[in-house]
Order: sequence, then structure tokens, then C-alpha cells
Amino acid sequence: MRATVLLLLSPRYHAIKNRLYRLAPGDGLKTVVLTLLGFGFWAFLFGVSFKVLTYFRTIEGLGDLLALRLLSMILLTFFSILVFSNIVTSLSTFYLSGELDVLLSSPVKIENIYRAKFIETIVDSSWMTLIYGLPVFIAYGMVFKASPEYYLGLVLTIFPFLIIPAGIGIIVTMLLVDAFPARRTKDILVLLGLLFFVVLYILFRMLQPEKLVNPDTFPTLVQYLTAMRAPVSPLLPSYWATETLAPLLRTVKGDSLFYLLMLWSTAAASIVIGEWVCGMIYYTGWSRSQEGKKSSISRSRTADAFFRLLSLPFRGKMRAIVLKDVKLFFRDTSQWSQLFLLFGLMVVYIYSFKLLPLERAALPSFYLQNLLSFLNLGMVGFVTSAVAVRFVFPAVSLEGASFWIIRAAPISIQDFLWGKFWSSLLPLLILAEVLIVLSNTLLKVTPFMMNLGIATVFMMTFGITSLGVGLGAVFPKFKHENVAQIPTGFGGIVYMLMSMLFICLVIVLEAWPVYRIFTAEAFGNHISLPGWAIIATSFIMVAIVNILALFLPMKIGLNRLKQREI
Amino acid sequence: MIKLINLTKLYGKLTAVNGINLEVSRGEVFGFLGPNGAGKTTTIKMMAGLLQPTSGSVLIGGHDVQEEPLKAKFITGFIPDRPFLYEKLTAREFMHFIAKLYDMDDGKNRISELLDLFGLNEWADELAENFSHGMKQRLVMASALLHKPQVLVVDEPMVGLDPRGARLVKDIFRDLASHGVTVFMSTHTLEIVETMCTRVAIINKGEIIAEGSVEHLGRMARMPNSHLEQIFLRLTGGDEGVQNL
Repeated sequence: MRATVLLLLSPRYHAIKNRLYRLAPGDGLKTVVLTLLGFGFWAFLFGVSFKVLTYFRTIEGLGDLLALRLLSMILLTFFSILVFSNIVTSLSTFYLSGELDVLLSSPVKIENIYRAKFIETIVDSSWMTLIYGLPVFIAYGMVFKASPEYYLGLVLTIFPFLIIPAGIGIIVTMLLVDAFPARRTKDILVLLGLLFFVVLYILFRMLQPEKLVNPDTFPTLVQYLTAMRAPVSPLLPSYWATETLAPLLRTVKGDSLFYLLMLWSTAAASIVIGEWVCGMIYYTGWSRSQEGKKSSISRSRTADAFFRLLSLPFRGKMRAIVLKDVKLFFRDTSQWSQLFLLFGLMVVYIYSFKLLPLERAALPSFYLQNLLSFLNLGMVGFVTSAVAVRFVFPAVSLEGASFWIIRAAPISIQDFLWGKFWSSLLPLLILAEVLIVLSNTLLKVTPFMMNLGIATVFMMTFGITSLGVGLGAVFPKFKHENVAQIPTGFGGIVYMLMSMLFICLVIVLEAWPVYRIFTAEAFGNHISLPGWAIIATSFIMVAIVNILALFLPMKIGLNRLKQREI
Repeated sequence: MIKLINLTKLYGKLTAVNGINLEVSRGEVFGFLGPNGAGKTTTIKMMAGLLQPTSGSVLIGGHDVQEEPLKAKFITGFIPDRPFLYEKLTAREFMHFIAKLYDMDDGKNRISELLDLFGLNEWADELAENFSHGMKQRLVMASALLHKPQVLVVDEPMVGLDPRGARLVKDIFRDLASHGVTVFMSTHTLEIVETMCTRVAIINKGEIIAEGSVEHLGRMARMPNSHLEQIFLRLTGGDEGVQNL
């Protein structure tokens, strides 16, 4: 039995081994760069956690309480994310994976398929949480100067803590697919997932957790301590994990062993119950998931009219490409549902400005408001880049296996690429301008800063779009299993780095002239003629940088696409 | 060797397969024809155990595919129309994997023999992602024959094969049949059916509309001594000419 489970997992082992032994030219460098970036981020997380915990420990009496409350919140957050991640992952591993045709037509017991897929699901859904949670837990151990028992307890806690959400996730998925066909379940899960994260983030932001570090917000000390001590539900595995680790951290007597046993027994139960549920309903659900997708709202006449309206500004072949892209976008739930996430992020972003305690700052508020507005340019640029990496960077890759149609058709690659550019630019422009206008309105900035913000963001968006389309053509991923894979990897990272560099360059070039003009306006200082010359030169350089950012990436992308063999 | 008993498959309101009854004997090469969307692939997937019938049953070697799936699958080799391959596995690794799925402890010689037979020896240690469609098809066929099945269920065997590959497949199917293996084949290549199949069934809109030898089908269509293409088109109502392209 074990041999069969290992056998079912062996293709993955061979695939990884073959990928490592047969690296294409350039892959080695990509791997090194990605690994270094990963280590860098790991070190950054460790550093931040260490600093925060060290600061907590300096707070007399309340510090440890705060640290353990934070641990409890972290574990609860991880648990929630893991459950949802496992639901989504198990849908792919148990129902949508291409190899299931091979496995289910072979004489392999369903139980063995379940066990192999269980392991696959845990690995796929949990590895990132595990790797990037470890620096936090290690920081706890170091700050609390924990004994070796803590680290042993950590290892013994992690395994069941990962198994339980996997078991729950898989059972939920099987029940969902039993109720809905797998492809419809995928759509539902994508939507639910995005709504889940948006609501979670908004709730988190509205809870204003920064209040916990400011005892002044609670009228009495008793209320404050009560808030610190209030436990999360004792029925949750995250609570058991906290109660396992907390006594070990502080080297005090506790019920670590009891809660550890709770974790392990629940983990075992989740596997057994999952296997039983699998035996009852998995094959029926999988068989039904072979059905094709039914037609949906996006194929209605109203939808068609809407799509044609969106493509109106374009003509001829470019219009055909834009219309095709718009239809595909709205018919792919995993694409358009990201708009919910976008909307949620915009709401949270704007709402954050409302919460800024400007009146309590040391600097004059009008000065701070306008300074923040200038820094906000960078933030809006960053948000726009983050959106572009999801929607614009994949634009060329989304042609996928049907790119041969474009290459074989009488349309120049230039027209094709510029078609992608123009169809991506408009929504990004709307997003960026809405963000800058709303945030500046909330900041109550001067008209000069408002106009500067609008103009700068307008120009930057052209460059951000061009970088997205151009670099997306340099690093296309025509063979992708799902759209979310496209921005991950070397190309997406290069795009984000180049985009950040571009935005920083624009901000740096504008910083001095804006400072001179603003202080002259605010304090009534006079700007000399040489001063104006320098200001004009800076803005000309900003314009040049934007023009280069607009044309260079598109030219490079165009050349690469022309050379590409299909 | 193969029995389909009142086999039905519904997709919501759509009846993909409607009460099919078929029997295929040991050593027969059976052709399963039909227009696009007639229900051929749905039927074949139910035979391979990939789809659960709405009602009815499939017996392979006397074993019900739903009630005794492992026993039925152990004696069946399945070749789908769009085969899945692990792109990052070599041909040899893929064959080893399949051999193990069928509990073959020592399949090395058999693997080498089949790779050689299907002309894949020099590609044995190349990744499947570098294979052409025809080569992938041949690899999947080779893997389906690893465990010496008693029944071979094939969906569109000739797609993507060059003339040499097509000839090879025909020879292999003839050889298998002569050794008692039952070959159940869905195909659009009517020349194959005419030269190889002992009997043929035509499915249209989920129902078997004709069954028997090619000669018998010719008599049914009142077109004796005609080619199978004309018989097929007459029986499925597709014999109107194409006008004014």
C-alpha cells in the first residue's frame, strides 16, 4: 500500500529531478536570483519579527502578554489561510489534474489515490506558509531565549497544524463537488476566496490592531488586560498550537503535552474521516466533473453589446484583438473575479487615509498632508504596478496555445502588441487617477499638488503599461495551467523590479523641484531664474524618462516576439 | 469479452448515450463509428471506468467496471484520444511508472521491447515535452500494452500518426487480435475499419443505429458493395453534397 502511494508521488519527484538536471541556458541564473530573493525576504521577515518582539519585551508587565496574543493571532491567521488554500488546491489535485485520467483508468485503489493526493495537496498549499512562518517562530524562540524543548515542540506542532486544515479542506472540496460540478465549484471558490480575503482585510483594518500597542485607547488597565487575555475559541487548532508553544517559550508549567495530543489526534481523525468521505463520494463527484461548462451570463446579448462598446475606440484588426481579449477576460472567472480584490484593495487604501492621525503629528498638518501626497505618488504607482503584473503582464501569454493564429494571420506583431497596450492602458489609467484624486481629496492638498499628482500618475501609467506589455512579450508563458501562474516566476519579478525602478526615478527627479515650488508657495519664498531653469530641467528629465519607459519596453518586446519560434 | 448492457449517460437534460447494448467477443477487432458528438468518447470513457453511467453496466471479461473496477482495469488497456503525459518525465520513466501501476515488478525487458517496437528507443531518455504529438501517441500506446491486456479500448488511434506509425498500429492490432486480444476501437479513419474490423457499430445521437459486418451495414443502407464512407453517410444522414463553398 505504501509502495503504491510512493509510486503515485514518484512522477513529481522525477519531474523535479529532471528539471534540475536539464536546466536550459539562463535557467541556472534565474534559479539563483529567485533563491536569493527568497532568502532575502526570509531574512527580512525574521528581522521585522525580531524587532517587534524585542520591542514588546521592553514593555513592562504587558510585553509577554502582547507577544503571546500576537502569536495567537498569527496562528489563527495561518490556520484560516491554510484551510482556504487547501480547499482551492485540493480542487485541482483531486478533480482537475490531467493525470487523473491515467490514475483512474488504472487498477489503483481509490484509498491510495486519496493518500497520494492528500500529500500532494499539503505540499502545494502549505509550503509557502511553512517557509515564511518559520522565521517568525524562530524569532520568538530567540527573543524569549527559549530552551531546546520549544524548538522540538515547534516541529511536533507544525505537522498536525498543517495536516488538519488539509483534511478539512479536502473534505469541504469533496462535499462541494458533490453538490456542484468541479468546474463550477472552481468558479465559486475563486469568487468566495477573493471575497474572503477582501472582507478579512477590511475587517482587520477596521479593527485597528495598532490600538493594542497603545494602552491609552483603553480607559482602564483592567479592560486592557482583559482584552489581552481574551482567548480565541478553545476549539480551534490554532488555540491548541498556541497553548502548546506558549509554555515552552516562557519555560513555565503548562498543558503543552495535552494540547499537542489534541493536535495529533485531530490530525489523524481528519485523515481517516477524509478517506471515508472519499470512498463514499469522490468517484461520483469526479465522474460528474467531466461535464463541460454550461453557458453563463457573459454569453448573453447584453454582455456582447457591452464588450462591443468597450472595443469601439479601436479599428480593424486591433479592434478584433481587443474584442477577443475583452470577451476572454469576462468569460474566465479567475480573471474578472480579481476585480473584486482590486475594488477591496482600493477601498482599504482610501480608507487608510481617513485613519491617518495627522492632527497628532509633530509637523504642521498642511506640510505633512502635501508631503504625504507626494509620497502617495509612489504608493499609487506601486498599486498600479501590482495590478498591472496581474492583468497587463500576462496579456501576451494569454494567447497561449492559440498564438499561432496571430502569427499566421496578416497582422503585424507591432499592431498586435500595441493593441494589447491600448486595451490595457485605459482601465489602468482609470484606476490610478481615481486613487490619486480620492486620496489627495482626503488629504486636503493644495491645488498644485493635486494637479501634479494627476499629471504624474497619468504619465507614469503609460510607462507602467508599456513595461507590462513589453516585458510580458519578452518573458511569455504560453504554456500555463492557470492565469495566476503567469506573473509568478522570473519575468514577473523582473517586471516588478523595473517598474519600481521607473517609479522611484520619477519620484526622485520630481522631489527637488516639487519641494522648491511647494515651499515657495507655502512660505512665500521667491524662486530665482536659475532656480526655475533647474526646475524645468528636472521636469524635462521626468518627461524623457516617461517617454523612454513608454517606447523602449515595447520595442524590446516587439523584437523578442518577432524572433520567437512557435 | 466486452458487454454493454442498457448503458445510459445523461448530462443534465442531455442524453449523451441512450441505452446501448453491445457484445464483443474475444479476439474481435470492433469498430465504433459515429459523427462528432454522437457519444463515442462518452461510451469509451464509461468502458475505461472514467465515467459513471447513469444506468446500465459495462462488463469487461465478466467483471463489472463499476462493481469490480480493479479486476476490470487489470485486464484492460486504454488509449484515450487526447492522452495525458507527464511532460517532465522521460519515455522510459513514464513506462516504468505505468508498469508499476499494473503491479509489474520487473518490466524492464518488456519496456525495452515496446519502446523498440514503437520506434522510440533513441528517445527513451528524452523528456516527453520534447515529443511530437505522434510520438506521444505512440508512447501512450506502448504503455497501454505493457501489462499484456486482454482487452484494448482505443479512442481515435490514428490521430497524429505518420504513415509508418499508422501501418505499425494496424499490424499490432491485427497481431493482438490473432492472439485473442479484443480490440474496441473508435475511429474516423474508415479505411482502417474496412480493412481490419470484424464488426462495426455506428452510434448517432447516443443510440446504436447499425451493427454488424461492413457487408451487413451495406445491405442495411441499401448500398451493397459500396465503400464504408458512403454507407456511413447514408446511415447517419450526412450524404447531402456540399454546395457552393
